[in-house]
Amino acid sequence: MDGFKRRLSDSVQSQLSVALSLAILLVALLAGVFAFMSALDEVHEMQDESLRQVAVLFDRQHMTLRYPGAERLVDDDEESRIIVQYLADSAKAVGNDDVSIPLPFPVTLADGLSTLNIAGENFRALVRTLSTGERIVVAQEADVRDKEARESAWHSLLPFLILFPVLLLVVGDLVRKLFRPIATLSAEIDQRDHQALHSVDEQHLPSEIRPFVVAINRLLKRVASTMETQRRFIADAAHELRSPMTALSLQAERLSSMPMSEAARQRFVPLAQGIERSRMLIEQLLALAAAQSVAQRIETAVSVHAVFRRVLEDLLPLAEDKGIDIGVESVEDRRVVINELDLFILVKNLVDNAIRYTSTGGRVDLSVEPTDSGVLIEIKDSGPGISAEERALVFEPFYRNLGTGEAGSGLGLSIVAAIADRIGARVGLSFADEVKQSGLRVCVSLDVRRS
Amino acid sequence: MRILLVEDDLMIGDAIENALNDASYATDWVKNGLTALAALDTQTYDLVLLDLGLPGKDGLDVLDAIRARNNPVPLLIITARDGLDDRLRGLDAGADDFMLKPFAIAELLARMRAVLRRRGGNAQSLLDNGEVSLNLVSKRASTADVSEVQLSSREFALLQALLIRPGAILSRSELEDRIYGWGNEVESNAVEFLIHALRRKLGSHVIRNVRGMGWMVSKGV
Repeated sequence: MDGFKRRLSDSVQSQLSVALSLAILLVALLAGVFAFMSALDEVHEMQDESLRQVAVLFDRQHMTLRYPGAERLVDDDEESRIIVQYLADSAKAVGNDDVSIPLPFPVTLADGLSTLNIAGENFRALVRTLSTGERIVVAQEADVRDKEARESAWHSLLPFLILFPVLLLVVGDLVRKLFRPIATLSAEIDQRDHQALHSVDEQHLPSEIRPFVVAINRLLKRVASTMETQRRFIADAAHELRSPMTALSLQAERLSSMPMSEAARQRFVPLAQGIERSRMLIEQLLALAAAQSVAQRIETAVSVHAVFRRVLEDLLPLAEDKGIDIGVESVEDRRVVINELDLFILVKNLVDNAIRYTSTGGRVDLSVEPTDSGVLIEIKDSGPGISAEERALVFEPFYRNLGTGEAGSGLGLSIVAAIADRIGARVGLSFADEVKQSGLRVCVSLDVRRS
Repeated sequence: MRILLVEDDLMIGDAIENALNDASYATDWVKNGLTALAALDTQTYDLVLLDLGLPGKDGLDVLDAIRARNNPVPLLIITARDGLDDRLRGLDAGADDFMLKPFAIAELLARMRAVLRRRGGNAQSLLDNGEVSLNLVSKRASTADVSEVQLSSREFALLQALLIRPGAILSRSELEDRIYGWGNEVESNAVEFLIHALRRKLGSHVIRNVRGMGWMVSKGV
């Protein structure tokens, strides 16, 4: 019932349907009662009229009465018959029932219509003084009359009973039809790619929702332009930051090939390292900005092992420098529908992180496994791991694991988090070895929807 | 060899020009697209190094103009834009390769050599990654320590496959594809056997195993 109430207050369509149905029900009830009452009245009037007609007929034809006594006419229905008798004969009434005629009407009854109880039965009686001076009473049992009147009144209700459900169906259908443009509209917007920011067609919409759609279109246009500005800013920043960096590193590279004193060369090494570090930081910042932006990305079925391979090709020199045994554990490849660059950058940052924080001679393992809901990509290292209380913090930009002395940019896991957030992946951190509380194990689960 | 360098950044241009001169390339350096097109009209170049972010005329427009003149000169794009669109547009427009700033001089020279080699119709008869070189005609391989070892045709096919893209990891099935023709039955452990043989001949560091992925030769420098 609560759910119904909420649905009712949420949906204009339901509200309208219910309100219209209630209104129709109310009107139908009132009209029904009125029709019933007036039909009842009319039938009673007609019955009274027929009593009067009988009396008039009797008077005009100068009929004489002969009581039938005990014998019965064939078509006679005792209940519905019309009784005619001289009022004066009422005194001669024999039986104490309503069957044998004459009936014991009160002799003093005045002319005109009245309802009285005779021998335990209600009678509608018309008393008339004939031209001969005799007074007759024309009567009929009230029960029969009421029954007939009620039947007739019920019949007058029949159209309402048939029309009411028909009307409800028509109203429901009409409301649904009127709301169809809204349903089609929302379905159209719903099916859109999240990058599709073109305007909604407002031509064939009812004038009531058009202003709303126009406002939405204005909003869409603003979002599209903001996104375009953001995209251009990232592209410009990339260019503006990379050019001086390139100039710097190229000049340094040329300098290194020049003859120089031993002291100068000793100074040169940290300089080159500093340049390299700045270059890395710029690349990571741009990668983070790109990961957070909502620019168009093409999704295809991507082999996870192919991504592993590209990452290893890129990072193998780094691992070999530290003598780290890096490799892929899973035998079976898996495919996921995703933007390949997104998955590549995500895995690369995780593996880069693993190599950086694993000491010389350590081990890094990559694997992909199918799960109930999709695939699970796992990157495990033999480094110190991340303590449980630190795990939420490491995704913050520029957060650095204190005391490791590692010269990372502090952005790697933020990039991972930004990509995971956008593609709807879940990233979990734990110890690779729970007993020794060491080693980082990163699990990235991707939904089956994307595989 | 004559190279046209189109770069508006003075520091970058200066460094590249000097490095190219050191590597014995004759280099003409221009700083905008219009001058570049004028230079291409008057002089024949062996290779063009084209920056995309140029003042006046954008690098991609310059590329279009070059190709519109049916000039088939090998062209390498140097850019700071990492947008996938730019990259695809550049390659679609007829660039031979694409280098993202910042890069090392050594990598630029290697890419230039690769472009020239491809354009030369693979005329080069030597594959080299700095650690091992392979003569494609005599099927002999040498390293710093070992000189001119004759390889069997399958050993040669395997090493050639690895040396075509140094630094790339090839899986067992990819190597099998390169070694065996259609319809040849693949013997189990054949790849391991050949790699073992190659390592014995050339030294174990020459071919590296990447656990769970495959094998590679080092990218060298």
